[in-house]
Amino acid sequence: MPKRDEIEGIIERVTQVIIFELKLEDVTVETFNPDMDLIDELGIDSMDLATVALVLQDEYKIVIDEDDYPKLKTIRLIAEYVEEKMAARS
Amino acid sequence: MTLTHTASLDQGKPKFSELLAQPEVRQRWEKVRKYFFLRESTYDMSNRCNLRCDGCYYYEGEKQFAVENSSVEAWRQLMRDEKKRGITYVVLAGAEPSLVPERLEVCFQEIPLGSIATNGLKKIPESVGYKIHISVWGNDETSFRVRKAKDLLIKQIDNYRNDPRAVFVYTFTRNNIDEVREVAGGLVAEDCRLTFNVFSSPVGYAGPLRHDEESLKRVQAAMMALLEHYPQNVLFSAYNAMAHTHKSSLHDLYTCLYPRQNRSQDLGLGRSFRQYRADLNWDRSAACCVPDTDCADCRHYASGSAVVTARLFRHAQESATFKSWLDYVDTYLAVWVMGYPKGENLCAEPVSPPGT
Repeated sequence: MPKRDEIEGIIERVTQVIIFELKLEDVTVETFNPDMDLIDELGIDSMDLATVALVLQDEYKIVIDEDDYPKLKTIRLIAEYVEEKMAARS
Repeated sequence: MTLTHTASLDQGKPKFSELLAQPEVRQRWEKVRKYFFLRESTYDMSNRCNLRCDGCYYYEGEKQFAVENSSVEAWRQLMRDEKKRGITYVVLAGAEPSLVPERLEVCFQEIPLGSIATNGLKKIPESVGYKIHISVWGNDETSFRVRKAKDLLIKQIDNYRNDPRAVFVYTFTRNNIDEVREVAGGLVAEDCRLTFNVFSSPVGYAGPLRHDEESLKRVQAAMMALLEHYPQNVLFSAYNAMAHTHKSSLHDLYTCLYPRQNRSQDLGLGRSFRQYRADLNWDRSAACCVPDTDCADCRHYASGSAVVTARLFRHAQESATFKSWLDYVDTYLAVWVMGYPKGENLCAEPVSPPGT
């Protein structure tokens, strides 16, 4: 089980990456709901997800498989995915 | 046969941030990513055409039998509904859209980004501000033989000379490779823009237009020569030439994402793409950019524009491959989006598609 603080830290960083990379203007790290459906509610698509995935790969030294993109529906799910990949690596 | 693509934590591979470290790469990335919001669907505008061409995709399969919906208001409502579900780009095609200009107007009023595939025989009103793709299948002698149209290229140029919407799309068949220099020269002399398509057989077609490995090599050589010769007028890149003349089809190289080949409805084309027939209905099982194409022979420029472009992840593993992908996306946007200027290609040599 990952520590709660660890997941929260990844959630914060993923949120920062998404806001910066997708140039979101109406949201901050504090106001971004980590359980919001990024595809249905925010309208992000495969190219946006690919961009975010490439940045997160760099940052966390993991590989995010193309086939896993559909699983990455919320910031929390992305953070948990990242944490799992990091755990598998170590 | 579909190629597999797996990424690994190869320490020798550059990071994404390292790929973007070169100023010209970063600049091109920022230029193209502004258009990641584009989400397309395609629409058969009518079931009529003023030509009958050998190898026409429209008159294959079931879509040709759709009863035309001629209500302009029904088209307007469709466009409004499409916008609501996130469609930002429309491709107006079969059979011949120029025959129904009032429908084109309505589409443009509701969704301002798009393109129209036309044979160019009848001019589309300038009030329809979409890109216009004019199909060219060879010189006028060949056009007369294949399309039963006399002086077609002359008429096409007359209609679309100095029209910023126009891109002439030369479709290479197995039989017209040697004519392209003459046709391209004529188009360039009139300062027209052109790009290339590769004939892709309809399902069950085994006729003389179908490519073989040798003809694909000749096509690639012709594309590269024209790209070098007319860099200002030819909207293309070395990687476009490679991707569309590879011995493997686009589906085998990149795994097609259109619903016909992609069951996933979670994301991307599998989720949002629809191919509407002239009766405003659509069939998910048949939905792709050019329905009734044999996927094992698909090298369509339209398909590549979506499928190659969507494979950002696979191309962002190595510098030359990433630059090639940026060239491809830059080409796609210049061909399909009004006002988007083609940049100078970053990669002059064709690189192999990822995983080959």
